[in-house]
Amino acid sequence: MSMVDPAIRSGAWAAGSDAPEKTEVRIGFIPLTDCASVVIASVMGFDKKYGIKIVPSKEASWAGVRDKLVNGELDAAHVLYGLMYGVQMGIGGQKKDMAVLMNLNNNGQAISLSNQLKAKGAVDGASLAALIKKEPREYTFAQTFPTGTHAMWLYYWLGAYGVNPFTEVKNITVPPPQMIANMRVGNMDGFCVGEPWNARAIRDNVGFTAATSQGIWKDHPEKVLGATAEWVAKHPNTARAMIMAILDASKYIDDMKNRSSVARIIAEKSYVNTDFDSIEDRMLGQYNNGNGKKWQDANYMKFYNDGTVNFPYLSDGMWFLTQHKRWGLLKEDPDYLAVAKKVNQIELYKQAATQTKTPIPKDVMRSSKMIDGTVWDGKNPKSYAAGFKVRQS
Amino acid sequence: MNKTLQVLLPPLLGLLLFVGIWALVAQTTPTLPGPVKTWASAVQLFSDPFYQKGPNDQGIGWNILASLQRVAIGFGMAAAIGIPLGFMIGRFQFLNAMTAPIISLLRPVSPLAWLPIGLLVFKAANPAAIWVIFISSIWPMIINTAVGVNRIPQDYMNVAKVLNLSEWKIFTHILFPAVLPYMITGIRLSIGVAWLVIVAAEMLTGGVGIGFWVWDEWNNLNVEHIIIAIFIVGIVGLLLEQVLVLLAKRFSYE
Repeated sequence: MSMVDPAIRSGAWAAGSDAPEKTEVRIGFIPLTDCASVVIASVMGFDKKYGIKIVPSKEASWAGVRDKLVNGELDAAHVLYGLMYGVQMGIGGQKKDMAVLMNLNNNGQAISLSNQLKAKGAVDGASLAALIKKEPREYTFAQTFPTGTHAMWLYYWLGAYGVNPFTEVKNITVPPPQMIANMRVGNMDGFCVGEPWNARAIRDNVGFTAATSQGIWKDHPEKVLGATAEWVAKHPNTARAMIMAILDASKYIDDMKNRSSVARIIAEKSYVNTDFDSIEDRMLGQYNNGNGKKWQDANYMKFYNDGTVNFPYLSDGMWFLTQHKRWGLLKEDPDYLAVAKKVNQIELYKQAATQTKTPIPKDVMRSSKMIDGTVWDGKNPKSYAAGFKVRQS
Repeated sequence: MNKTLQVLLPPLLGLLLFVGIWALVAQTTPTLPGPVKTWASAVQLFSDPFYQKGPNDQGIGWNILASLQRVAIGFGMAAAIGIPLGFMIGRFQFLNAMTAPIISLLRPVSPLAWLPIGLLVFKAANPAAIWVIFISSIWPMIINTAVGVNRIPQDYMNVAKVLNLSEWKIFTHILFPAVLPYMITGIRLSIGVAWLVIVAAEMLTGGVGIGFWVWDEWNNLNVEHIIIAIFIVGIVGLLLEQVLVLLAKRFSYE
């Protein structure tokens, strides 16, 4: 603790010892570009500064991450925002109170379509919707977890173009490598997944990027640092130390001069296990859609962005609930605000942010404009969820 | 000399044919690496099988050992329970009738369907993987042992009755030696299943092990390593079975 400036320490919270209850924390991650801040916090030693040791643990699947979080094999995890709310509400599994400690990144996911669709003229949302109506057959789209972020981006995108993701196309949950393998043999028409998989589809010449997730929702929330509510209640100081270490790592990664070296570290076999080339370009915002278009994306994957990335906005958490309701995963309207207040650990985050001098937004809600022009600001979640033209309930 | 040639020639020819077909298929499928490329990759992989680079990146040797350990525990428990159970089911008709429906119901269940149950009960991935091995490899041992006991010629039992042998003597002098060949068949089938299942279970649970290693290589779409893993799994499975056959021969009365 001697390393932390005493003035900051006393300012952060009032009473009690701030020593971490647990000094070694296992944080699960899935090999994706956006696991970077968890990995960097460990590799660059940001964790030691706060008296903890982060042990990143590579996991096989999102279902595996969910199970290991719930049964306590993992202390925390790099996990899909929507998955946390799915478990909280008991959608498709055991119900368990969960805690979102911070958001890890904005942007950097994408929807890829197969080259066969490209040959038929489906190059974006509008032309895909036109093709589906014109040549009906069973179109198959994949996402990574039923309540997860990729499912929600995919559904939202299809819905924005008037395609119902449940009745007009077939949507399935499969692991990313299987998406590529299936697309190669013409078994899959499109998928939504995190990088490096969309870049990989282009490199392997099986598909192209039809939409980026930042095009669906600029600066959308994505992966979070998640734990169970029980774990956080037992280890508040450890949780705070984790947030602080990852905030430091996030700052480091968003310093663009560090990006290439970060890409090199996370490409290693221990982490994402891929070639450096597949991740570097899009980490730097250099996009190539695999269909003749190249651009520098201003809304590339961000990890810090002056703290706006990391703040666990209640409106972000509530948004996933509105979509779960919209697609019939939730049968009834939950008390949106109450659930988000329970899950998102605003207080803990604020303490950690104060200590690391991370700017804290004034409001726990934020206003976002989506691809279909609708605005989400956290107000009237019930009517927002029921207001979509394409929906399941 | 002539004799060894006669023994070695057919398998060698078979292997050559296999590699030939593989090379031919690889020629026409650009994404499938051929034997030469795979061999080079294997040599590199096995040049340093026991390195440790943190919990997420360990040498192939550690991964194989981790899987073998899981198999040893799961299979060991299955044998410890399955073989005695098989004897009892074979010996006592009542018990046979009692357990028959349960066994017929549970035996054909796909091994991986047991994994979520294991996770729920044990609340940890590693015991769940071991549980899957246990539950999938126990059936051949129960069934084969029971069948062996059933097939004992009635004459043997009549002799035992005439001599007024105790249940223990019947077991050690008649049942065990007569059932041994059946039991060994059961054990061989079981170890095959156990090894088959661990690779699949590890793919889902993660951690160190040959199964998750394959999964991770698949994540990277590294096809050479996947092919190497297929050979590793096959060769280790073959060795396991041979070791058991050797062990069984030592105990055999023949």
